[in-house]
Amino acid sequence: MKRLMGILAVAASALLAFPLQAQTPRYGGDLVFPVPSEPPSYDGHREETFGLIHPLAPFYNTLLRVDPNDPGGTKPYPSLAESWTVSADGRTYNFKLRRGVKFHDGSAMTSKDVKASYDKIIFPPAGVGSSRKGQYAVVEAVEAPDAYTVRFKLKYASGSFIASLLSPYNFIYSADILAKDMHWYEKNIMGTGPFTLVEHVKGSHVLGKKNPDYWDKGKPYLDGFRAIFIRSSSAQVAAVRGERAHIQFRGFTPADRDSLKAALGDKITVQESAWDCILLVAINHEKKPFDDKRVRRALTLALDRHQASTALSRIAIVKSVAGVQVPGTPFATPPEELNKLAGYWTDIDKSRAESRRLLKEAGVPEGFSFTFTNRGIPMPYEPLAVWMIDQWRQVGLNVKQEVIEPAAYYGTIRKGDAQVFMDFQCGYIVEPDLDMYKFLSADRNPANYGRYTDRVLDDLYDKQSRATNVEERKKLIRAFEKRLLDEEAHYLMTLQWHRIIPHSSKVKGWQVTPSHYLNNTLDVVWLTQ
Amino acid sequence: MLHYIIKRLLLMIPTLLGVAVLIFVLMRVVPGDVVEARYLTQGSQFLSQDLMNIERKKLGLDQPIWKQFTSWMGGLARLDFGLSMWTGAPITEEIKLRFELSLQLAIMATVVATLLAIPLGIIAAVKQDTWVDYAVRIFSIAGLAMPSFWLGILMILAMLILFKWLPPMVYTPFWVNPWENLAQLIWPALAVGYRYSAVATRMMRSAMLEVLREDYIRTARAKGLWLKLILTRHALKNAMLPVITVIGLEFAFLMGGLVVTEQVFNLNGLGMLFVEAISHRDYTLTQALVLIVASVFIFVNFLTDIAYAWLDPRIRYR
Repeated sequence: MKRLMGILAVAASALLAFPLQAQTPRYGGDLVFPVPSEPPSYDGHREETFGLIHPLAPFYNTLLRVDPNDPGGTKPYPSLAESWTVSADGRTYNFKLRRGVKFHDGSAMTSKDVKASYDKIIFPPAGVGSSRKGQYAVVEAVEAPDAYTVRFKLKYASGSFIASLLSPYNFIYSADILAKDMHWYEKNIMGTGPFTLVEHVKGSHVLGKKNPDYWDKGKPYLDGFRAIFIRSSSAQVAAVRGERAHIQFRGFTPADRDSLKAALGDKITVQESAWDCILLVAINHEKKPFDDKRVRRALTLALDRHQASTALSRIAIVKSVAGVQVPGTPFATPPEELNKLAGYWTDIDKSRAESRRLLKEAGVPEGFSFTFTNRGIPMPYEPLAVWMIDQWRQVGLNVKQEVIEPAAYYGTIRKGDAQVFMDFQCGYIVEPDLDMYKFLSADRNPANYGRYTDRVLDDLYDKQSRATNVEERKKLIRAFEKRLLDEEAHYLMTLQWHRIIPHSSKVKGWQVTPSHYLNNTLDVVWLTQ
Repeated sequence: MLHYIIKRLLLMIPTLLGVAVLIFVLMRVVPGDVVEARYLTQGSQFLSQDLMNIERKKLGLDQPIWKQFTSWMGGLARLDFGLSMWTGAPITEEIKLRFELSLQLAIMATVVATLLAIPLGIIAAVKQDTWVDYAVRIFSIAGLAMPSFWLGILMILAMLILFKWLPPMVYTPFWVNPWENLAQLIWPALAVGYRYSAVATRMMRSAMLEVLREDYIRTARAKGLWLKLILTRHALKNAMLPVITVIGLEFAFLMGGLVVTEQVFNLNGLGMLFVEAISHRDYTLTQALVLIVASVFIFVNFLTDIAYAWLDPRIRYR
């Protein structure tokens, strides 16, 4: 009996140990992934496309990064900075840098490189473009008091400063190179990352190989990677299905997921997450009758977002009913509270009755016609537009859709001729300062295509941005959200995008997050065979 | 003949000049520019007008149109296409790799089409209204009705489902690895070549039928000449004239017009580059590509005209 118990105990411990052993990273192999877009230049400080992040992030490090194991994609995690402290007044941040970090050319990375990189981002010299300069308006100065300390001095305490340093675009460049030529990184790649560049064949692929001198000893696990530029989504799916590629990091449609799963079964693992991208309905406040908030509220009240969530999530890359923050993230409004806002009520009959009442009160006749301008991208613009037009029809509005070619779209919108139209925003991290900036008055943000001025909203934004107490910040965000989406209905939210990543089951160590800009350094990714 | 060739060559210059002016104007008429395409389409939260102004200045888009035009024409006169506004790389570098792939695919598709079209067209004409003719006509009409990209999708699905195999996703030049190169390009060449052959087969058949009804063919038959000899020596040469035009024009089209087929097979060719350049509002690259494709068209037309003159001496003496 004792012997039997002994055998069972050994067997049980072996079974328990097996998953642990199975999760032990394996070295070797090349990760192959399609990238649906190609970087225009190599400079992360200048560009805004994931087409740069996916193939180039493995060549670089940033000061901080998002914890690669955090599914929420918001937790700060050390990268080139191993630790940091904040002064009592919240205006000075000191970052201790790792020692022994080398650029791919063999030179040592020190605080002067971090300072030079952030100076380029925040205070670019004349003639140098920085896409994220506006995001660091709070920064007064970047200092390098010693070789391994970087200090950021802020104009005021900010609740989102650390999150802003998690940007995957903020590659740390060599100060010496920048001193010689501020544009050098537009055409060259040379960082401290886990992989070094082998080749970039334009229009075809980027090839990277393991950096043997990487500072994080034992990493990366992969021998290399190949990022293949594939524009067609059907060709991307075919690449994964034909096992020519392991994973596509942006996302596939529900139909693609189902077809891959049906074809490959257990060879495919599916990771899903709410996606920090959303299509918004912008309403031109300079066009009558949309200058009347009753009409704008009527538009949002007509939408049955809850029913759409169920129906559209089967065919499109949208799912959650959302406010100004991605559902489930730290500052998101809980559903029961969100459902109190206009357009989020669960009783759609009551909501539509209110919508009709408001339209009548505003003097908008039954069958009133307007044009909804949409961007000529099929997924998910087309299904969402079709859904909304149908919803508006149900409150007596007659909506005509006008579709404009993607490259001409924003130029047309910026002219201010459109009445009601689709707008879009996508973030690299879920953070209220980033996600809500879009909605500030038009004189503060040229990307506010609603063309309104709302100082109350601006004030709420500024207050939440400076709030260092989480609960206080949440209250201010709720007030902002209520004013934006309900009281004034300046913008309408459609549905939160839903990120679906069906990938080869051989891929391990990669965690989906709400942002397709995160977790692309590939240092922790490995292949089972 | 030399006089004829020189005249045709000189005619190319005003044609290309006209194309250059037209594409320059058309690109400026289309709404949006490369800076908007770069910074307004990504849904980023922090739009900076300053950044857009810096980029416009850098690219010379703040200059008056006439100045942009003269600067571009000056470059063309030195055979310098300039830099891509999207990538900042020399345009010759952007086009080089894609041109090689597109040229190889166009040649392969032309070979496939010619090998199918000429014998099938002749057989169909000779065996007019027999089951052979009907079979050829069904085959060619199917080719006309079926877009090559759709045939390409069917091919890929068949390879995936039946053989669990997919052609390579990355282009390898023929001299680096012929097997890998052919494994990628043979499928699109077959898909495109089939559609291309359908047009040429029908043209070959009708031209052959017309020639076979000519008096000199009847005379040749009456004096007892062997049919094979009549077809190859007397009929084929004359029937080839319209077929050469079709083959030439299709070849030129293949150099920049295979956008969807390139997408389906993920080919890094000129067609995809063309679409991307337009969607990025990359004026300089689009202008260069239009000029290159126009030059290919003009050159192929020139070769067709020379072939006409060679096949039909009456043309060169006119």
